[in-house]
Amino acid sequence: MDAVRTAFDVFGIAAVAYFAALNLTYIAFTGLAWRSLMAHLRARRFSGVNEALASPLTPPVSMLLPACNEEACIVEAVHSLLALRYPEHEVVVVNDGSTDGTVARLTEAFDLVPVDKALRDSVDTRAVRGAYVSRREPQLWLIDKENGGKSDALNAGLSAARYPYVCAVDADAILEEDALLRVAKPIIDDPDLVVAAGGIVRIANGCIVDRGQVLDVRLPKSRLATFQVIEYFRAFLVGRVGWSRLKSLLIISGAFGLFRRDAVEAVGGWRTDTVGEDAELVVRMHRHMRERDEEYRIEFVPDPVCWTEAPESMRVLSRQRRRWQRGLAETLWKHRTMFGRPRYGTLGMVALPYFVLFELIGPVIQLASFFVLPVAFVFGMLDVAILVAFAIVAVLLGVLLSVAALALEEFSFRRHLHRVDVVRMLIYAVVENFGFKQLVDFWRLQGLVDVVRRRKGWGDMKRRGFAALTPVETIRLDSGPPPSESVPVVSASESVPVASASGSGRDRAVDEPVQRPSEFLRR
Amino acid sequence: MSSTEGDRPVVLVADDDDDIRDLVAFRLDRAGYEVLRAGDGQQALDLAKEHVPDLAVLDVMMPKLTGYDVTRELRADAATSRIPVILLTARVQEADVARGFEAGADDYVKKPFSPQELKARVQAVLGRR
Amino acid sequence: MVQALQLASLALALAATAFVLVLVLRRVMLSREERERQAVEERLRDDALALVDGDDVALPELHRHEAAIFARMLARYSRQLSGEPRENIARYFESGGHIDHQIGLLGSRRLWKRAAAAATLGDMASPAAVPALLDALDDPARDVRAAATRSLALLGAAVAVEPIVEALAARRVQRAVGGWALMQIGAPALTRLRGLLRHDDSAVRATAAELIGLVGEASDSAELIGLLRDPSAEVRAKSAHALGRLGAGQAAAMLRGALGDRIFFVRAAAARALGQLADRPSIPALVHQAQTDRFEAAQAAARALAELSPAGLSTMAALPTGNVHLREAAGRAEIL
Repeated sequence: MDAVRTAFDVFGIAAVAYFAALNLTYIAFTGLAWRSLMAHLRARRFSGVNEALASPLTPPVSMLLPACNEEACIVEAVHSLLALRYPEHEVVVVNDGSTDGTVARLTEAFDLVPVDKALRDSVDTRAVRGAYVSRREPQLWLIDKENGGKSDALNAGLSAARYPYVCAVDADAILEEDALLRVAKPIIDDPDLVVAAGGIVRIANGCIVDRGQVLDVRLPKSRLATFQVIEYFRAFLVGRVGWSRLKSLLIISGAFGLFRRDAVEAVGGWRTDTVGEDAELVVRMHRHMRERDEEYRIEFVPDPVCWTEAPESMRVLSRQRRRWQRGLAETLWKHRTMFGRPRYGTLGMVALPYFVLFELIGPVIQLASFFVLPVAFVFGMLDVAILVAFAIVAVLLGVLLSVAALALEEFSFRRHLHRVDVVRMLIYAVVENFGFKQLVDFWRLQGLVDVVRRRKGWGDMKRRGFAALTPVETIRLDSGPPPSESVPVVSASESVPVASASGSGRDRAVDEPVQRPSEFLRR
Repeated sequence: MSSTEGDRPVVLVADDDDDIRDLVAFRLDRAGYEVLRAGDGQQALDLAKEHVPDLAVLDVMMPKLTGYDVTRELRADAATSRIPVILLTARVQEADVARGFEAGADDYVKKPFSPQELKARVQAVLGRR
Repeated sequence: MVQALQLASLALALAATAFVLVLVLRRVMLSREERERQAVEERLRDDALALVDGDDVALPELHRHEAAIFARMLARYSRQLSGEPRENIARYFESGGHIDHQIGLLGSRRLWKRAAAAATLGDMASPAAVPALLDALDDPARDVRAAATRSLALLGAAVAVEPIVEALAARRVQRAVGGWALMQIGAPALTRLRGLLRHDDSAVRATAAELIGLVGEASDSAELIGLLRDPSAEVRAKSAHALGRLGAGQAAAMLRGALGDRIFFVRAAAARALGQLADRPSIPALVHQAQTDRFEAAQAAARALAELSPAGLSTMAALPTGNVHLREAAGRAEIL
């Protein structure tokens, strides 16, 4: 019994220490984010955004739009990209082996005609079948290629891009007119130094959008989406601003990210064998530059640049979170040599350990505490008073952080939230501690398990129980060549998955037959 | 309502920036013109069709409809096609100027501007007609 | 232990409530301030507009904060104006001691006060501020330097050209702000820019060349042609770009020589310029470059050929020796 008591005590102390460390870092980050945001806002006055619009000094950008079976939204997406306010930019749509009317719709809407196109081939991709240019919009290109996944499509876009900067976009991302100007700001300011830039990706559910302009920012009706909005304020806004300030930004959202082309080519483009390809690229770029002792910056622009749809169903959300966790794990594992090494500066010494401890393993610890407590109670080893008091502290801390993040938003951005929405958000900030956070942690745990099982090469298991596997695993296993060739039941090695579930993008219904060519599992 | 009402020639001023509208309207009003104000492209078009001003001063970068769009719409409608248009804008690269003239504008004033100079241009354009 | 936690809860609850209260209060205060501001502006607007128009306006007695609103209104106007109206505004600020006040603020210890003062001086339109702003170009904070650069440009201070170019070359000021400022100053900057073409620092020479291409005319091309032989590749490339922009036909011969440069991006820049200059004698060399050179240089040569001779390009592209760059450029030229 003593041993059990000691075990519980040890666990209790570890959990509390973890909790304290985590929240201290959150608080520190919130403070950091405040300072950074305030400075950014004040600097806006002299920052010359409007001047950049008219300026021939503003570097031209190639927008890369990978598309697979996007017939529903592709024409609109391309229209909005062409309409971006920017002195000089081109749009390169990469058709990744769509089987629907994506190409037909584009051809009709923009009068596309086939042309020869010189490709750099700086990164290997699946075969490119052809290139088209629009007669109506000379800055619009279509690259038609075999299906290879989002990363592969982006790499093909890289090959076809004319300009020194590329901007990877998702077809379902809603971009405002000024989005490119805003995200390109760091590059406009310091083209020699900045190799990548990203901005705030906000949740569009519930907002009123007209012709690419977000007219009114409202909370979504869906409860699940509202939880995500709170989460976004608390974690995303504060987190990314903070890390960028510490020169350790680990991820630029695949929905809208700007990169210097030669820097991406130098590290070999987007990797096709990971689901977190957006984070993986950024980490790899950091590593490359630091290993060469080259001066560089990867910036996060604390301005909303892009709006996306958040999942409103549990099924889709759970898949997304599992995938994100997997992507994180894969990225961290791939670059584990940077862990704790001074050579890699704050990234190696602070950021990576933080992500491993609090983001990767965190869900395990948090869920464990959640389950250990009732057990301890049953054993009679739990002081309920302490537990309750502790729980209250935890919830209030979470609420405080959410409020601080909300305040940050209020103080900084010109779009004010409706009073009703603010009240609702405060309520959700309390309620999220009683279920939502735990659910997310559970999904993240599942994601972690997915990675571990795959890595330990449970190949035999896969070979046998194909039909017995859960739908998600089916999709993951559908990582082989397109249906025209024989589909191996398993690809035990980490070969190029055709259905590379990317780190961003909209999720699809899972119950599709295995034989269909893969699409992007997008956010 | 037509522009022959009263002696004062009617000028439509459209810009989404309040200050610019105020500055231009003040100068033109002092110079003896009747001024109509619009805050965006759609409003400008509506006012132009309703009142048929003697001249329109249009900002290029406006919400809803740009100055180019409004000019094109005016030219396309027989009732308003004769209204001279002066475009007022910060975008003055060759391509932008060409675009303005292609849309049907009569003159182009660069921002930052002098309201006196703008008034002189207005007089010149109206004098030509 | 429980008490400690209870205290912590209390503290957190209070902190959260305080935050929310601050948010609410701030909103209320902001909207009230805004309404007040609009009311004051409404009252004083005619006087402001009359002042801008050149009247000798006798202002009523104003409270300090009303005077501040009036000043900000005028400063806002000045951003849209040029010429005499701007001078009228400048005179108002000079006579009221505003300029001196802002110059004083340039010495503040707080970064944002200095930056705000530097920005405001540009809006106040008075050339009297130029010397102080030139000093501010050496401020340790980048935002102050940026604000000062912008203001110097708004004041049309040609004397600021050299310090701004040097700041640009040393990356002490953002490219967008510095570049814009130099273009804003425009033609008066040219003599000084030409002088900088002989500077020791290659980054300065390159920046000067680039800017001459943006604000100059064909008559400014003489020194740029000489820079096509500069030891720095960056300078050579920027000069080629500039010559293309300026439409300097007399540069064609030297640019043709630059097609043989060691560095690929210089070759690409030369090809592009030759296309812009419509220099037909360079066609054979461009064809050779499009067929044999590396990607960027070949692309540039093919595009230049599309401008020079679309028909000839189609013929070349159709030949067995025609490569993908030629075919791409020919295809585009046919379609568009």
